Amino acid sequence: MKIAIIKYGMGNVASVKKAIDKLGFTSIITNNITEIKNSDVILLPGVGSFKKGMENLNKENLVEVLKDEVLFKKKPFIGICLGMQLIATNGTEPENVKGLGWIDGDVIKIESPQKFRIPHLGWNTLKTKNNNNFYKEFNNKDVYFIHSYHFKAKYIQEVTMSVNYDIEMVAALQKNNIYAMQFHPEKSQEVGVHLLNKILTQYAKV
Amino acid sequence: MLKCRVIPILTFNGFGLVKTKQFAGNPRMVGNAIQVAKVYNSRNVDELVFLDIYASDKNRKMNLQMAKLIVNQCFMPVALGGGIKNLKDIEDLLAIGADKVVLKSKIIDNPEFINEASYVYGNQCITVSLDAFKKEDTYYLYNRLDKEIEFFSFLENLKKYNFGEVILTSVNNDGMMNGFDIELVQRVEKILNVPIVVSGGAGNPEHFKELFAKTNIEAVAASSIFHFTRYTPRDLKLAIQSVGKPVRLVEKDFIPIN
Repeated sequence: MKIAIIKYGMGNVASVKKAIDKLGFTSIITNNITEIKNSDVILLPGVGSFKKGMENLNKENLVEVLKDEVLFKKKPFIGICLGMQLIATNGTEPENVKGLGWIDGDVIKIESPQKFRIPHLGWNTLKTKNNNNFYKEFNNKDVYFIHSYHFKAKYIQEVTMSVNYDIEMVAALQKNNIYAMQFHPEKSQEVGVHLLNKILTQYAKV
Repeated sequence: MLKCRVIPILTFNGFGLVKTKQFAGNPRMVGNAIQVAKVYNSRNVDELVFLDIYASDKNRKMNLQMAKLIVNQCFMPVALGGGIKNLKDIEDLLAIGADKVVLKSKIIDNPEFINEASYVYGNQCITVSLDAFKKEDTYYLYNRLDKEIEFFSFLENLKKYNFGEVILTSVNNDGMMNGFDIELVQRVEKILNVPIVVSGGAGNPEHFKELFAKTNIEAVAASSIFHFTRYTPRDLKLAIQSVGKPVRLVEKDFIPIN
């Protein structure tokens, strides 16, 4: 099994690869269309603004190949942080931008009624939603978040885990072969690495 | 609930780890940075800050190979700082796996650099380091540029810029292990609405209880207490928890990474 970690100039690829290496899976950091097509799993990491993220995906001509592989060929996909946000219908950072649109929802600024400090930065507790069995063991575990915008999902059944920071926000989403998380599993020590392992092992038999 | 973070700061002189007192010269060598990073990773600390504290003075860049070896030990977030002068410097640090970069000297003359950096990399990875020095009841911004800058007027201007976090250090208390400057923290937390990491003065768990009981900050950084006393980050988290604030106490439910 080969994992393609998408390189599109939005940071953080080294840390993700380090976590994947630790788990003993093979991965490449790439923006090459053939390599992406030949991979078994696609991982989209990233930090930074929504607008810049979409601009860079377009600049690298990656939007079509990602859509083809993930939506039509149903290749397993993991989106982390900005890589999760970009699959939304729309983003608003710093202005309205169309996203990949794979999971319905908008990425909007965190508005804390009690004026909690923004960004939402640090270790916060996951809550499993919808009696999700796959994520059950991560209920009440702490993982590392760092974000000022959050994914407001249209359909609650696609939310697998949530997090509370004055308001309840999406921590993780899943739709068929698409796994997405707002927190950084690669920075969340044992809990995060275990979650990545659990997702990847499902596909490791091929 | 968001947990209060306890963050070891590693101060580096280009060769090894050092510890200063009140930012003065003659820092004491305290060990090998890579070994120390490895220990902190195994102790599941919340985060790590690694600063090359003489890079700007000596007009040199951070040793990227060294920094990379440190980051490679860590499965938690790492902030790197020292000698950052342009966007290329930031990009180099992010490329080796830094989650945040710490800006200090550069922004004294050119705060606009904060916005340039956060426009490209996002404000979540731009941490600003502010060193306050108290002289006769007035706080000044500590700097090695021989400038007299009143701390709070600097802060009022600075808050307009787009950064994601502040490391607030009391220079008077640095390395003294005599407690935090609570008054400074209380004044700064009213002005800023980004996360604040308080540093300077940690000597024993009582200091942490006082800080977290009297302020609403969510993160604390320390150095001497870990080098020179028997206390671990976990001991300090238990102290913070005892005054009713949430902390992350890791139970090893999953197989350790190393």
